[in-house]
Parts: sequence; structure tokens; C-alpha cells
Amino acid sequence: MEAPPVTMMPVTGGTVNMMEYLLQGSVLDHSLESLIHRLRGLCDNMEPETFLDHEMVFLLKGQQASPFVLRARRSMDRAGAPWHLRYLGQPEMGDKNRHALVRNCVDIATSENLTDFLMEMGFRMDHEFVAKGHLFRKGIMKIMVYKIFRILVPGNTDSTEALSLSYLVELSVVAPGGQDMVSDDMRNFAEQLKPLVHLEKIDPKRLM
Amino acid sequence: MQREEKQLEASLDALLNQVADLKNSLGSFIYKLENEYDRLTCFALLSGQLNTLNKVLKHEKTPLFRNQVIIPLVLSPDRDEDLMRQTEGRVPVFSHEVVPDHLRTKPDPEVEEQEKQLTTDAARIGADVAQKQIQSLNKMCSNLLEKISKEERESESGGLRPNKQTFNPADTNALVAAVAFGKGLSNWRPSGSSGPGQPGQPGTGTILAGASGLQQVQMAGAPSQQQPMLSGVQMAQASQPGKMPSGIKTNIKSASMHPYQR
Repeated sequence: MEAPPVTMMPVTGGTVNMMEYLLQGSVLDHSLESLIHRLRGLCDNMEPETFLDHEMVFLLKGQQASPFVLRARRSMDRAGAPWHLRYLGQPEMGDKNRHALVRNCVDIATSENLTDFLMEMGFRMDHEFVAKGHLFRKGIMKIMVYKIFRILVPGNTDSTEALSLSYLVELSVVAPGGQDMVSDDMRNFAEQLKPLVHLEKIDPKRLM
Repeated sequence: MQREEKQLEASLDALLNQVADLKNSLGSFIYKLENEYDRLTCFALLSGQLNTLNKVLKHEKTPLFRNQVIIPLVLSPDRDEDLMRQTEGRVPVFSHEVVPDHLRTKPDPEVEEQEKQLTTDAARIGADVAQKQIQSLNKMCSNLLEKISKEERESESGGLRPNKQTFNPADTNALVAAVAFGKGLSNWRPSGSSGPGQPGQPGTGTILAGASGLQQVQMAGAPSQQQPMLSGVQMAQASQPGKMPSGIKTNIKSASMHPYQR
């Protein structure tokens, strides 16, 4: 008996379950320059990269109480760049010794009609913001330093106002799950940014 | 006799050298005092040289200079070129004015009197009283030194410590909350009653532990696309925990009836 052709088999599994390891902190506006200098020294040698992104967060309310969340992000300064759709799961509780916040993460690039597609699927936009800042890389680690702007008129990304006087600093790695070395490396890197910034794992549930 | 003479000469030479060094450093000291008086660092050198001088004098090979007497043989009021050269122009004439100053072995009578009085006083107060006085002097000096060094240290670190706070933890929390679930972002939330709003929040978006597995917590927001506005109300600031009245909850329930949902 031949195996049925591959196309008829149900598609199960697929990619390795990728997790995002995350450390967050913030830096006040007046100390931004020193942080950028330090990061330029510590990180891989590349042209300093700035970005201006518009992120929209969509919710799908099911019968269960907790809605399903997807994040759609588009670049406002790079024409022609694809949209980016991301799913982030719940942070994995468990190992208190793990230095970084770990959560399931699925990323994909999409075309420009993402919002229409999501609306047709039944998602509703929950909130949106504009992120403007700098991006650095060191190996597999990605460091983003960005300011969050609140959008005053929904849909109009020109009228924005800064949310606070600080920049958010995020150190993230997307890697397969279970790799504790990744969080150790992240912690070592975070040590080098003290005392300018304190990168730590911040549980978002605590801030509700 | 010869040995003693040789010793005398040798010790005289050594003494001359020491005195010459001392003279040089005193000269530079005076110069510094007059010109660079804010950078005086030569005290150690001076005290070191004085110490060596004393050591040379106390050296066992040095014969007792006390036993030697210097007697001027010729006094003349004429200029003496040799003497001028040897003293670098300071003593032009070896006359009767110069001799008492340069060949003096005892201090002035008044000074001698004072010194004698001091010595009798010191002898009078007794050994242990003197010891106590010495100890208290030492203690006071060390206290003073400690205070000075502490002051110096503190002012130094105080200079470094207008420690500009480079980050604000409250801001960190606000920003993380904004990115994680949109706290304080584009949705306009009524800022009326605060209390009941808080539990209302998790009510609409609680974490389901098991079943839905990886659902993320979301603050229930007013659907902004389809129903543009709630009421024209102010947004709660990110720094204050979400002030959401329960009115929103009911709005959500009615508005989230999607055609595709059952």
C-alpha cells in the first residue's frame, strides 16, 4: 500500500516551536545618547539602524473569556517592506532561576492587506501605537531602544504624542525552547548595560 | 690621631654633601612658595633630607663635633674673592660682623633662657603626665586626620553622585504595560469611577490556565473601528492603574457580537 501523496496528508506540526526570550528596561531621554554609544560599542558592527513602526494589536473574542491576540506591524519609513504578523503566547512560568521572560512566538511576513484580512476573520483592533527608535544586534540577540507614541486620532499616524519621557529597551532572542544558555547570555549582556539601564524580566500580569 | 682626622674629614664631607642637598631643596622650596604656591609637594623631600642629615650626624663613625672648636684666625674687613666664590656670593667679607652669626654655637641668651625654662617645665610635670599628654596629642591628631580624609572622600564621591537617574522604574512599568496590553494607548477610557473598574478588567480578559493554553491577557478595549467612540471622555493616564468603570464591560458584551460568532 502506497502512502498517500503528501498533499493529501493533513498538515500537522510544521516548524519547531520557537520561543521568545525577553528582557526589558527603560532609559530616560537624557541618557539615551550614552546608552546608544555603549550599545554601538558592545553590539555587532553595523550601520546604526533606526526604525519607525506602526503596530496594531488585534483581538478575536471567542466564547472563552480570553481573546486571541495578534500583533500586526508595518514599517512607516521603509517603503515596500512587508507587514509583520506576530503571535505571542503567555509567559512560561516555572523556572524562577531563568533570567529572561520566555513565551511562545510565531512570526510571519504578510502582504499589505493584512488588516482587511484580519477584520474579515473577525478580529477587532484593540489598540495601536507608533514605535520609533534604534535597533542593534549581537549574534542572535536583538536590542531595541524605542519610544512609544500614542496615536491621538485612531488611524492617523501623524498625530502622535509620546507616552512617557523614557525609551523602552528590549533585549530579545527568538530561539527554540528549553535553551537556558540563551537566557544566561542575555543576562551577561544585560550586566554590561548597568547602571545605565536595568534589564530585567518584567511580568506583564503584575502590571495589570 | 690620623684615624680620627680621617674620620673627621670623612664625616665633614658627608655633612657638607647633606647640607648642600638640603640647601638646594630649600632653595627650590622657596622658589615654589613664591611662584607655584598651589602645588607644594616637596615637604616629603625636605623632611627626608633632614632625617638623613640627622642620621649622618648620629652615625657611629662621626666623631663628636661638640669637641671640635672653630676659631677664626684672621678677620679682615676686605672683600675676599675666594670666600665669595665658595659661598655663592653670600658672604663677601669675613669680618667681625659675620663671625658671631656664622660661627655661633649657642642660641641667643633670651632664646637660651626660654629653652631652659621649657626643659624645667617638662621635667617638672612628671613622666606619666607627660605620657598622657603625648597620647592625647596623638589621638587628636589622628582624629583630625580621619576627619579630613573622610571629608575629602565624601566630597569626591559627592561630586560624582549628582547621579543622574538614568532610568525611571515607574516609566519602565508604564512602557512595558503599554506594549504588553495597550495600557494607556489609543483607546479612550472614561476616567470616572476607578474602583469597580479594576476587577472588571480581568473579568473580561482573564488568563485561562489550562485549556486555551497560550492565550495572552488583553485589556478589553472598545472596538475602535466599528464603533468609533464611547463617549467623549478622557483617557486614563498610563501611570494610574486602569480606571475602567464597569460600563465598558457591558458595552463590550453587546458590541462584540460578531456575525460569525454563535
